Amino acid sequence: MQVATPLSDALGRYLDLTSEQMKLAASNMANVDTPGFKTQGFDFEQEFARQLQGGADAVDLAQAQEVDGLVARPDGNNVSMDREGMQLAKSQLQFRMGVELLKHEFSSVMSAIHAEAK
Amino acid sequence: MNLFGVMDVSASALQAERVRAEVVASNMANAETTRTADGGPYQRHHVVFEAEGGGSFQQTMANQLGGVGASSGLNGFSGGLLGSGVTAAQTVPGGVAVTGVISDASAPLRRYDPQHPDAGPDGFVDYPDINPLTEMVDLMGATRSYGMNASAVQAEKNMVGSSLDLLK
Repeated sequence: MQVATPLSDALGRYLDLTSEQMKLAASNMANVDTPGFKTQGFDFEQEFARQLQGGADAVDLAQAQEVDGLVARPDGNNVSMDREGMQLAKSQLQFRMGVELLKHEFSSVMSAIHAEAK
Repeated sequence: MNLFGVMDVSASALQAERVRAEVVASNMANAETTRTADGGPYQRHHVVFEAEGGGSFQQTMANQLGGVGASSGLNGFSGGLLGSGVTAAQTVPGGVAVTGVISDASAPLRRYDPQHPDAGPDGFVDYPDINPLTEMVDLMGATRSYGMNASAVQAEKNMVGSSLDLLK
């Protein structure tokens, strides 16, 4: 029996991507008063599909790019606290979902480990 | 609609209410402005909200369900998303969008003040027709609506949290 399954591998990548997204939201929030700063982000679905297609070999992390469609302030900064707060909340829930699914995925292995004690 | 569909709807409302509050703040800040780039006194601004997605809720729901069934080609990801850049300006079915900020065409208030640099030859100065009471009530409305939608986001977070607890 193998401990790592294709699903657990995919969930690992999912968790990597959500924490990357959380990091970006935090960095955007940190730069809310930096003149000229542009909101950074990446397309989650597109990036996740790319990582899954990359297969087992290590795929480089998500490339953050400037997010368009946001209104810039006179100092050139276009960080929207609403968007970032929402992004952070969403990423936290996505992370929790990934963790719960991973826990579920490994529970069969855990019961196999504890089978002897029963 | 995905897991975070309700959050996207509330997020669009948060953004729209913030714009509304900004416009009200700008109106109050310019309540005594007699000089603008296109001449004349400042004109009071209004925001125009528009429901996003078009059509009824049932129609939008049917479109969403149909869209998921039709585009399950590549690993279950919708093909339309791939290849597009990162954008924050997407339409949320059921959400709200600020379609524009229009300026009020009401006539300016005329006050007699011949010492004022912008006074006309008759000694009258044109001031914007801005009533602080109207603006404050509008600001209260925007603040309350913002809080209401923030509560909706909180409720949605709890809902997603409870559905995650089902996994345990």
